[in-house]
Amino acid sequence: MSWMSWRTDGRWWKGLSLHGRGVNRRTVLRGLLGGAAVGVGLPMLEAFLNGNGNAYACGGVIPKRFGLFFWGNGNRPERWVPDSDAADWVLSEELAPLLNVQHKISVVSGMSIKHPNVFPHTSGVAGLLTGVAPSSEIEDGAIRAPTIDQIIAAGIGNETIWRSIQTTPTGSSGVSYNGLHSQNPPEASPYALFEQLFGANFNLPGDSAAVDPTLALRQSVLDAVLEDANRLKSQVGRADQLRLEQHMDGIREIETRLARLQEDPPQLDACSMPAAPLADYPDIDGRPQIPAKSRAMCDLLVMAMSCDQTRVFGHYLSDPVSGTLFAGTSAGHHDLTHNESEPQEEVHQVTLQIIQEYAYLLEKMDAVQEGDETLLDNSVVLGCSEVSLGKTHSLDDLPIVLGGSACGRLKTGIHYRSYTAENVSKVMLSLVRAMDIVATSFGEEEAEVTDGLSAIEV
Amino acid sequence: MLIFLLACDPETPEPVAEQIPPVPEVTSPEPTLRKLTTSQYENSISDVLGAGLVMPTSLEPDTEIDGLYSVGAGQASVSPTGVVRYEDAAYLLAGQALGPDHRGMIMPCTPSGITDDACAEQAVAQIGRRAWRRALTAEEQARLVGIAGDAAAVLGDFHIGLGYAVAAILQSPNFLYRVELGVPDPELSGRRVLTGYELATRLSYFFWNTTPDEALLAAAESGELDTEEGLAAAAARLLADERAKEGVRNFFTEMLTLYALDTLSKDPLVFTHMSPEVGPSAREETLLTIEDLVFSQDGDYRDLFTTQKTFIDRKLAAIYNVRAPAPEGFGETELPEDGGRRGLLGQAGFLALNAHAVSSSATLRGKFVREVLLCEAMPSPPANANTAIPEATEEMPTLRDRVQVHLTDPSCSSCHRPMDLIGLGFENFDGLGGWRTTENGAAIDPSGELDGKAFADAWAMGALLREAPELTSCLTATMYRYAVGRSVGEGEEALTAWLDGDFARKGRSVQSLMLAIADSPGFRYVGELEQ
Repeated sequence: MSWMSWRTDGRWWKGLSLHGRGVNRRTVLRGLLGGAAVGVGLPMLEAFLNGNGNAYACGGVIPKRFGLFFWGNGNRPERWVPDSDAADWVLSEELAPLLNVQHKISVVSGMSIKHPNVFPHTSGVAGLLTGVAPSSEIEDGAIRAPTIDQIIAAGIGNETIWRSIQTTPTGSSGVSYNGLHSQNPPEASPYALFEQLFGANFNLPGDSAAVDPTLALRQSVLDAVLEDANRLKSQVGRADQLRLEQHMDGIREIETRLARLQEDPPQLDACSMPAAPLADYPDIDGRPQIPAKSRAMCDLLVMAMSCDQTRVFGHYLSDPVSGTLFAGTSAGHHDLTHNESEPQEEVHQVTLQIIQEYAYLLEKMDAVQEGDETLLDNSVVLGCSEVSLGKTHSLDDLPIVLGGSACGRLKTGIHYRSYTAENVSKVMLSLVRAMDIVATSFGEEEAEVTDGLSAIEV
Repeated sequence: MLIFLLACDPETPEPVAEQIPPVPEVTSPEPTLRKLTTSQYENSISDVLGAGLVMPTSLEPDTEIDGLYSVGAGQASVSPTGVVRYEDAAYLLAGQALGPDHRGMIMPCTPSGITDDACAEQAVAQIGRRAWRRALTAEEQARLVGIAGDAAAVLGDFHIGLGYAVAAILQSPNFLYRVELGVPDPELSGRRVLTGYELATRLSYFFWNTTPDEALLAAAESGELDTEEGLAAAAARLLADERAKEGVRNFFTEMLTLYALDTLSKDPLVFTHMSPEVGPSAREETLLTIEDLVFSQDGDYRDLFTTQKTFIDRKLAAIYNVRAPAPEGFGETELPEDGGRRGLLGQAGFLALNAHAVSSSATLRGKFVREVLLCEAMPSPPANANTAIPEATEEMPTLRDRVQVHLTDPSCSSCHRPMDLIGLGFENFDGLGGWRTTENGAAIDPSGELDGKAFADAWAMGALLREAPELTSCLTATMYRYAVGRSVGEGEEALTAWLDGDFARKGRSVQSLMLAIADSPGFRYVGELEQ
């Protein structure tokens, strides 16, 4: 079989242009299953080594990381967008919690999703994070292409124990997709997350890798499972072959992880064993303890990145259409966005609470020293929601904040305002490229772009 | 119906029973692998490895497509996280199952030492057969015995070693996916007929929501299920078994989205009777009501919407403001004639689930009746529509006043009237399902309209809904989708229409409908594979 990949319209197609050497079949499948027209190659770290002349820089010993910080139901644009986009811009009311890291973020406003707004909320998720409109047939608005976190994980996630980690403090389903009807469920328990990342198999830097005979036994079990899957694959129809292929990708990922666990852990100064979080965070007055839970999870994510357990994460504060009862509010968030009377003070308070958690995460990342830089400098964390004004499901003037510079690839300390409702796919393409992934385009049809947003690129 | 047929065809001298129209020949779509749903996974584990194991806390969440997890299971892929969770679950379960306290339930032999291939072979064959729902091939068996032997030698314990073979069985796609692919039908090209083992699997998950028992596998092996009589006999046995209750419960849990009650979110500052137990209690009430009608009475499905009998615990009794029938747990009770509450749609399972965290919702409730009970798709609102419902004022104290714009503005009303005019009928019930006659001091008008027929309140609406022909055709089509694990295919409508006619002829007995579906060609045959 020559290079082929599966596209959203269900037809096989050839002729994908791939850049970079060492691209394996799995990487291609990962990046294209479902069909964002993004050519994904292996990270060309060498090309960007020492970009700032520093030998102990990001891209060498220290990896780049990508994060997605997502919340549902949007914002209040008039209280979100900073008044000025000049050099001396100041933070708006809803962005005020980011004061301590203002010089390390960029605010991008005025961007639009170019697909028609057919399915409230879902059109936003699909348009923003995949650049591919949701399916319009019986699936009725199903996301059908990989989201940006998975596109990036395909490029930079394959060298760590975990390809990507997904978390939520509110039981959100998250918005991370591998393609049609394939969603990556986030972990909702801080304690389970701790067990996953720092449980029995975790090795601190300096430890020699455990000689654990069960790892090899697990590997032989997975070999048998793969054999079963391959035999079954030869009997089923085409659609099922793809489903099984994806299942097998998951198995191979575990095999890779088992092999890594038998290697010595990476030498990273900032890596240490974190404290275990609480086993339970019970609701108070029927409202989840979002700050406590979110911070416990973010602490673990930050340490997981410091230990190079993963380079890609998604943290989902809430879902699109989420009815989460936030502290101090009188109704579910989604209900408030539609029915609270203007100027929607409670909706505004919810947005503030969310941005406070985003700020906590960025500050925590900025407190981790890596060489001359910080973990935040070596990362980019996309903060976003699927709509702007929740009341009208608006896909214009989307709320976007980029935390970190991806090792100096992205500008920081700026507010870029688009006055022409530019295509939001441009931002996504800039992000993919900032991770040193060679991409020819992002999105399909009206949403497709071949150029990033140069104003935010260095 | 029978009279009508006789009148149309007076020449036929045959007795009435012969007037039943023949089952239409249909061409089914291609088969797909059906991933076990979370509940099927857990039930199957309990049957294969014995009851009493601690289940994994998180598996890949189920995907709902066309209204059912069972349809989603035929299309969704397993994410990498899902695969990790299957691996974790496999070791968690295998370790417990072969632990010293539990292994007696499943081990067919006592090992003679750390390695004992003969004993391992017996165990692998027995566990594998139940888990994979077919006999293992010699090659599969040998490979699993090899895994068990290697692990036992390395770790110095027979049962721990065998656990690795069990973990391989549980992670295999042969367990995680139901393989119902069939073989080419010698009688009709373009059609595939399910094998005995595949039919056993389909029957068992449809009737019991779990893996086939030994008797069903034996029937499959002997070729009994390959005849119509054999299949019908097996279906009848399954239906008569206590486990059929779990099958019916799971079907209605999926259809009525009762699983969402486990995470019901209500503001306890607004609803003082709210607690984390209310959602699960409401789910149990609805399921006990259905179980009673389907099994204790074998009654008419439509009576679910008018029955005054229900089953409640203290939590629900407090919400309904009636006496709790039992000091602990659930008890049967007859709701009072003058209480305004009856049928499934008078239960918190419907009323609280289809409402907001702090208030009721005419639209959500009406949408549920239209989409779930009557199978009429309601389009999404235009994304840029301003759907805001104004806040209550002195001039507009009730929800009916506040949604007037939805009912009168032509850009809203074409979709909102069919939903809201049903939903407003439930306005005597607040967002948790408690009874009320006023809202913000004004009297509530609970009248409404169902397909052009006016009703005075929810009680009266139950009677109207009971007579709607779509109520039964929708159940028929939904249960058919559930049984075959996919949407109704092109040309299959004739079959579901026939099933609905059969349902009517048999007094709308849900049990009869299940048997008829199992007996239908859509259950036994699948379409060609698209390679």
